Amino acid sequence: MAKKTYDLLFKLLLIGDSGVGKTCVLFRFSDDAFNTTFISTIGIDFKIKTVELQGKKIKLQIWDTAGQERFHTITTSYYRGAMGIMLVYDITNGKSFENISKWLRNIDEHANEDVERMLLGNKCDMDDKRVVPKAKGEQIAREHGIRFFETSAKANINIEKAFLTLAEDILRKTPVKEPNSENVDISSGGGVTGWKSKCC
Amino acid sequence: MDQSVAIQETLAEGEYCLIAVQGVLCEGDSRQSRLLGLIRYRLEHGGQEHALFLYTHRRMAITGDDVSLDQIVPVSRDFTLEEVSPDGELYILGSDVTVQLDTAELSLTFQLPFGSHTRMFLQEVARACPGFDPATPDPEFQWLSRYRCTQREPSLRCWISASGTRIGGGGSHLDGLRPHGKGLLVDQSSRGQDKADSLLTRQNKSKSEIADMVRSATITVSNKAHILTMQKFELRDTIVKSHLVQKEEDYTYIQNFRFFVGTYNVNGQSPKEGLQPWLSHGIQAPDVYCVGFQELDLSKEAFFFHDTPKEEEWFKAVSESLHPDAKYAKVKLVRLVGIMLLLYVKEEHAAYISEVEVESVGTGVMGRMGNKGGVAIRFQFHNTSVCVVNSHLAAHTEEYERRNQDYKDICSRMLFSRGDASLAPVPISKHDVILWLGDLNYRIEELDVEKVKKLIEEKDFQTLYAYDQLKTQVAANAVFQGFTEGKITFQPTYKYDTGSDEWDTSEKCRAPAWCDRILWKGTNITQLSYQSHMALKTSDHKPVSSVFDIGVKVIQQELYRKTLEKIVRSLDKMENANIASVTLSKLEFCFQNVKYMQLRIESFTIQNGQVPCEFEFINKPGEESYCKLWLNANPSKGFLLPDAAVEIELELFVNKTTATKLNSGEDKIEDILVLHLERGRDYFLSVSGNYLPSCFGTPIHTLCYMREPILDLPLETVSELTVMPLRTEDDGSQLERPLKIPKELWIMVDYLYRNAMLQEDLFQQPGLRSEFEEIRDSLDTGMIDTLNTASFSSHSVAEALLLFLESLPEPVICYSAYHNCLECSGNYTASQQVISSLPRFHKNVFHYLMSFLRELLKNSAENHLDENILASIFGSLLLRNPAGHQKLDMLEKKKAQEFIHQFLCNSP
Repeated sequence: MAKKTYDLLFKLLLIGDSGVGKTCVLFRFSDDAFNTTFISTIGIDFKIKTVELQGKKIKLQIWDTAGQERFHTITTSYYRGAMGIMLVYDITNGKSFENISKWLRNIDEHANEDVERMLLGNKCDMDDKRVVPKAKGEQIAREHGIRFFETSAKANINIEKAFLTLAEDILRKTPVKEPNSENVDISSGGGVTGWKSKCC
Repeated sequence: MDQSVAIQETLAEGEYCLIAVQGVLCEGDSRQSRLLGLIRYRLEHGGQEHALFLYTHRRMAITGDDVSLDQIVPVSRDFTLEEVSPDGELYILGSDVTVQLDTAELSLTFQLPFGSHTRMFLQEVARACPGFDPATPDPEFQWLSRYRCTQREPSLRCWISASGTRIGGGGSHLDGLRPHGKGLLVDQSSRGQDKADSLLTRQNKSKSEIADMVRSATITVSNKAHILTMQKFELRDTIVKSHLVQKEEDYTYIQNFRFFVGTYNVNGQSPKEGLQPWLSHGIQAPDVYCVGFQELDLSKEAFFFHDTPKEEEWFKAVSESLHPDAKYAKVKLVRLVGIMLLLYVKEEHAAYISEVEVESVGTGVMGRMGNKGGVAIRFQFHNTSVCVVNSHLAAHTEEYERRNQDYKDICSRMLFSRGDASLAPVPISKHDVILWLGDLNYRIEELDVEKVKKLIEEKDFQTLYAYDQLKTQVAANAVFQGFTEGKITFQPTYKYDTGSDEWDTSEKCRAPAWCDRILWKGTNITQLSYQSHMALKTSDHKPVSSVFDIGVKVIQQELYRKTLEKIVRSLDKMENANIASVTLSKLEFCFQNVKYMQLRIESFTIQNGQVPCEFEFINKPGEESYCKLWLNANPSKGFLLPDAAVEIELELFVNKTTATKLNSGEDKIEDILVLHLERGRDYFLSVSGNYLPSCFGTPIHTLCYMREPILDLPLETVSELTVMPLRTEDDGSQLERPLKIPKELWIMVDYLYRNAMLQEDLFQQPGLRSEFEEIRDSLDTGMIDTLNTASFSSHSVAEALLLFLESLPEPVICYSAYHNCLECSGNYTASQQVISSLPRFHKNVFHYLMSFLRELLKNSAENHLDENILASIFGSLLLRNPAGHQKLDMLEKKKAQEFIHQFLCNSP
């Protein structure tokens, strides 16, 4: 309680093909819940979640975007101002993985230059239906110099870790003013310089 | 009121004030009202340039006389107008919008009024910013040179950035007072670290970067969301804190700490002996020392100048006599004349001491001076707040009421300020633990001196205590309400002959009294000892001490973290629940077989959730309106209370402006609308469908090449024919032989020729909309029989003919011939020459229409038509100003009429 809080606001964005589970990833992180019914996001939604990193309270504002192709030109206009982008594909959907390079180009064209990027291979609980080997995800991430996690919103694997890692990466680049130390004078028994008596 | 009108009056030809807003120019502490006008100048060779004109003005500007041009800022490529939030100020919804205007040469800050007008202004300015397509040349702003040369106003400042010359002076850079972008950490970090740095590099910035900055001048979706969450940020902190206080028990436990509390009236003496007997003998090393003195210095100097060497002397004496088994850190020293209080803690506790504040209250001479009164130190120890008060109350036996009053004054006037100035100051009473020590000066009354001394000798302190004023005053609830004092087991500490243990032998021969006392208030406080120290003989008082075990609330870090997490989670949840969200009854809208000038409506409902919300269709990036021209949402914005619903109608209407591109396939019935909720989601609405090509909106020559009804042709053919250039020579190879005039025109004219030659008010009486639709359909489908058999009102057919002419993308007399026609409107031969120069089909149509009109005039006795009426109706349809929608001036209109008039009077 004695500690003063230092707040930061990070805007994160979730992008990727329709149906890869962007909304579920967000729902798992923000509400710690999972919903099996698929409702396509037709528009832009966002949720907030406050996390603490390195003693700093950070508010994450996470934007969930429509994945459908016909909305791409519109959704790219939401990239600007995002400090972190999570690019999600579905390990059981080869097409969604093939489109990764297209999404990465999209980021290059429309997002801030210094945006932190991260690649997520979602639905990793469905190993029996896997068509994208983990190594392929790792490889493309390495090629582009970005972090990679396989996640499962359903089984709650790596979701929190992914968000926190992304936030940490952004925090590392964020210049933050250091807090003033508290006002205890620890000059044990020493002089009383700098002190002034108060009077009516 | 629109003040752009006043500005417009001052502008030169070709300059047009698009929008104006009244704002406040902030330079340092000065605030001056300015009218900001966005001026557009159309260049002769096409294209346009913009500049921001800043005017001083008197009152609300109504006419040009009310404004006086102060400064011109060309909207060049390095021009940015960005919304910022002033330093350190919280964004308040509804407050003025602060904007920052930057170019390579200057930087200005304005405050613009909150509201949609300002938003429109910012959007217009953003739109006016030159594109960053490297193909287009840099704006040159030559039109502004006029203002450069005619400097009637000596103060006029004009920066012409393209030429690099700066006219006038006083372009003060406002870097010193420039508010940081948005005041959001987000933006600071995303913008690069150093503002100065970025200014230096601005010239070298890539164009796309600058474009980004310009775009940020509009209020985009993301900006809005940032601002609004920031607004709640500080509030949220307060909520977290109050929740933490409420749940304190969940994450703290009570741990005892030993407090030493001592009080000593030193009667103006300097320390002559070690204080160990008082401060450290016979006890364990305490965790906290609270040591108070009174009458530290009785000299006049101390009283008037508040400065005394005694402070240092006694501070040193105390510091040297603290318990040798521990190292202590001084937390604070506070003194008011002779009343001094010292606070020490064991070094290892220093880290858990916070929010230390001191305060003093004088109650002496005139009720204010510091010869009497109190000083206090308040602090937070772990999670427990502690206040230590040292007071010296009024003297003399009979003055006990004065002492009570001093106590009350100290309580009411002792207010500790807090680090955050916005928080109310804290009184003594608002602490978990209050320790009150001092020379309270309460005496023993009703007993004579001898009796008192006798009881003391007998050590019958209990009997004596019954006559103690403090005891009786506390019992009467007159002072120290709620405080506790331990049992007194020591003899009175006042008044002794200095240097001895003998009672006062002076002339006054004061009766002994327990002047020096220690009281406490709060929970978890156990007094371990309460005693005087006879060994010290420096003063006419003996020092008193008390040792306490005080239960302090210590934070259990793990539990604290969990509690905090829980609070934060519940707040996140609340905040997420407060994001505006609605349900739309429909997200996809399909308009099948849309026809020319046929109003189609699809409606849907916006059902609001639990949060009041504002909704609005917003423009997609790079577009000037939220939807295509043929579409309209009604209403396009609004406000919804919780659970309320509104029906929105999407109205689709294809008119002459939009028909041609839909015919050609360059445009399609396809659009996506973005429905934005203030502080909430965005929804995408998809519009799809198909347009049935129509002869309306189709070029004359295209129709001539269509021997079939337009709807019988494949869409590709319609598209190809529509985009075919006007002057296509008939080579007869690919295309069928064209018709001389569009068959649709012939059908309508023929109908009128057969049915309406004698009709009164022809072309003047409106037709029926339903009949127009039937006429359109029969023309487009080739069901000419309908036209032949059905008995349409002649007025409907006449109107259809006029609509047909109006819908032609290229008028019958081509745009290129327009000015020639007006010039030779008095010269029939020359006029005929102009007509003969028209493209073949246009010429045919013109002659065909003229001969039809002449036929009509032959029956003027019956139909009451005359040349003037027809010339005026057809003049403005056949001759259209190439500049488009700009209203025709009367002279042009008249000449167009004259031109047609000649052909109505003269048979070729």
